[in-house]
Amino acid sequence: MPVTSYLALGAILFSIGLYGVLTKRNAVIVLFSIELMLNAANLNLVAFSKFGLHPSQVGQVFSLFSITVAAAEAAIGIAILFALYRNRGTVEADRMNSLKG
Amino acid sequence: MQWNGEFLAFFLLSVMAIGGAVFMIHFTRVVHMVLALAFTFLSIAGIYVLLHAEFVAAVQVLIYTGAVSILMLFGIMLTKHRTSDHSDSRSRHQLLSFVGVAAFFGVIMWVIYHTPFSGGKAETAKYTVANLGEWVFKQYVIPFELTSVLLLAALVGAVILAKKERDA
Amino acid sequence: MLANAWVIPLLPLAAFVLLLAGGRRWKEGVAAWVGSIAVLAACVWSLGVLAVVPGGTGRKMEIPWLSLGDTVITMGMEVNRLNALMLLIVSLVSFLVHVYSRGYMRGDERFSVFYAYLALFTFSMLGLVISPNLLQFYIFWELVGVCSFLLIGYWYYKPEAKAAAKKAFILTRIGDVGLFIAVILAFWHTGTLEISGVIQAVQDGKVEAGIVTLIALLIFAGAVGKSGQFPLHTWLPDAMEGPTPVSALIHAATMVAAGVYLVARTFPLFEASPVAMDTVAYVGAFTALFAASIGLVQNDIKRVLAYSTVSQLGYMMLALGSAGYTAGVFHLMTHAFFKALLFLGAGAVIVALHHEQDIRRMGGLWNRHKGAGVLFLIGCLAISGIPPFSGFFSKEEVLLSAWQDGRWGVFAVGVLASFFTAFYMFRLFFLVFAGEYRGKGQPGPVSSGMMWPMGVLAALALLAGFAEFPGGWLSHWLTEETGIPAGHGSAPVWLPLLTVSIAAAGIALAWGMYVKQSVSPEQWRARAPWGYRVLLHKYYVDEGYAAVIALPYKGLSIFLRGFDRYVVEGLVRLATAAVQTAARVSTRLQNGQVQTYALISVIGLVLLMIGLAAGRLF
Repeated sequence: MPVTSYLALGAILFSIGLYGVLTKRNAVIVLFSIELMLNAANLNLVAFSKFGLHPSQVGQVFSLFSITVAAAEAAIGIAILFALYRNRGTVEADRMNSLKG
Repeated sequence: MQWNGEFLAFFLLSVMAIGGAVFMIHFTRVVHMVLALAFTFLSIAGIYVLLHAEFVAAVQVLIYTGAVSILMLFGIMLTKHRTSDHSDSRSRHQLLSFVGVAAFFGVIMWVIYHTPFSGGKAETAKYTVANLGEWVFKQYVIPFELTSVLLLAALVGAVILAKKERDA
Repeated sequence: MLANAWVIPLLPLAAFVLLLAGGRRWKEGVAAWVGSIAVLAACVWSLGVLAVVPGGTGRKMEIPWLSLGDTVITMGMEVNRLNALMLLIVSLVSFLVHVYSRGYMRGDERFSVFYAYLALFTFSMLGLVISPNLLQFYIFWELVGVCSFLLIGYWYYKPEAKAAAKKAFILTRIGDVGLFIAVILAFWHTGTLEISGVIQAVQDGKVEAGIVTLIALLIFAGAVGKSGQFPLHTWLPDAMEGPTPVSALIHAATMVAAGVYLVARTFPLFEASPVAMDTVAYVGAFTALFAASIGLVQNDIKRVLAYSTVSQLGYMMLALGSAGYTAGVFHLMTHAFFKALLFLGAGAVIVALHHEQDIRRMGGLWNRHKGAGVLFLIGCLAISGIPPFSGFFSKEEVLLSAWQDGRWGVFAVGVLASFFTAFYMFRLFFLVFAGEYRGKGQPGPVSSGMMWPMGVLAALALLAGFAEFPGGWLSHWLTEETGIPAGHGSAPVWLPLLTVSIAAAGIALAWGMYVKQSVSPEQWRARAPWGYRVLLHKYYVDEGYAAVIALPYKGLSIFLRGFDRYVVEGLVRLATAAVQTAARVSTRLQNGQVQTYALISVIGLVLLMIGLAAGRLF
């Protein structure tokens, strides 16, 4: 399998995730989409660890770190969501417009 | 491109991953979305196996398909929302998003297919868990330890954030 | 005395500065004294100058003011006999008016301001008289215009006074533009601004005949504006809205005569151009008759006098245009005395009648104010041309110069206007002083401070004629060594007889109409009602100007206002609307929603990538 196929898969998943981030109103779903995008990135890392210019297992190491960080991110994200929900009573992303100032 | 087992496996797995992702976007019930996403994560784990990254695949299953999905389910259950998510009043926003993402996707694809990748030959036989452990605990031991600190901080932070305010 | 004649105008200027500094803190008496003493000093000095001034080009003194390349523009003074005579006339009349105003303006709120304006005017007028070059002349010419404006509009809270001041300023401006062009043309073609230098260049034939005519006509345009000649005469009757002493000083004796003085001063220019001479003579003659005919039917005491002034100024122009240089100047002098006298007399009547100006509500004042009556009668006799009053001699000179210049038409017009003059002056006199008092209330007293300046003027009106008669002393004195012909030898015997009998006929007609009442004015009026109406409305000149000039101008203004409001302002609105729309769009983007921001970031990223990729492609 050429590397391009894996990269294309990664790009497709990333784009779907991006679309979800941009359009979904429910903040939990937005978090899902972010996880999806991170996974697409991981996919690239792992793919290059096999097909890269200097293929080595370091790519896998990186993806491991990335997964760890993503897990922490998910936990923090959910915690922030809870706090927000308690304060505003909603998790609808389009109701959160306090950035408007 | 020959019809070998690797290709077949890749084809099936990628169809499953993309399908899961698309379903995740298109389902209206939130619980269904979580399930579709878990399916995608699982398929990605399969892809990792194809890429000789068995340990990463295992971690993927454990953390994403397991932990993160459950976390998300908790998140859904602990917050109140309309069971279905439909975006009615934002059609213009959606259209613009679609156009923007499509353009982004097009550019990326154009780059991917127009870049000559002349990768070296990977010694996949050496891609063992033992080797991976050596990488992590020898050369990358400091980032590894830092990651543990990060996880601890995230743990504490998540607890504090999620705690009820009157207890704070 | 002669070498320092430039001090004369500075005396009233000092008074002006003092009065401005003193302001309202000074009592009326102090202000009046300051102004009067300064002008009296100027008057005495002028008398001394008059006594010693040499003939010909006189005495000249200049200091350089500006140098433009090779040309040096100077300021200074020039005193020849004409200037010296004008100096005396101006300062004398001004002094008498200053004294008179003490009584007339009593109790006015801005008393010291009035005196300050009077002093400023006197300064400007004296400066104008002694100016050696055209530029300085023009500066003072405008200064007297400003003073005239200020004094006509002195009672600025009266809307008529405000309108009259504006009208005077704008109408004289039309002539001033002509004068200014003349100054520039003269400088262009002769390379000098000196009046004597310009005249010299013209006499040496250095300037083309056409240009000389043009310059002379443009100078005359300035004179027409200032001296209220047709067709720019309409401001002068309206200027009677100012205080009466001002009318006497500015709009009868001095400033309006500045136009005549200007023509006299540049007389050799006119002599060099037959066309200009004809123009001056015909405009003068027409104005003399035209204004006199309007004066026949006016009912406001000051307006009658104003039209009489316009008519007499026409006489002076007529004389100058008929080569009667000395006749014009002579009439200027006598007119200054008797017209100032008449105005001051009118002022006394107005004060006595508590500011009533309509002669239909006067009458019978002879018994109550015999002094004023006698003085006014002297003025009337002088202007009508009854010997031995000064008007007889000067008017005879004027008519004689027209006759000898071969202008029969002009001569006839002058004689007819003289008949009109006698009639309307005595119509005025009889209506005011004879018969029964037709007004309300009782006539009040007139202070002696107002009476004795009139007495001085009456004496001058009586005696000024003898400067010329017998023997032509004045003409000889004026023209000595100047190269201007003194004129005319002796008059034919029938001419004085004709003028006197014409004047007597006018007086008799007025007597018959308004005293004996054997001739009914109503009958005459009924015979030609349209004629009466035309005269009463001053030949509809004002209305004509309103229709021909003001109305299209107003239309243009409305159009321009519309253009400004809808096109120019529309463009401005368009610009603001564009900015506002852009701002509204960008505020819509700032809706506080993270997803919108993220979308914009994505679009920006895509554009950046496309841009970079495109940059690599080319």
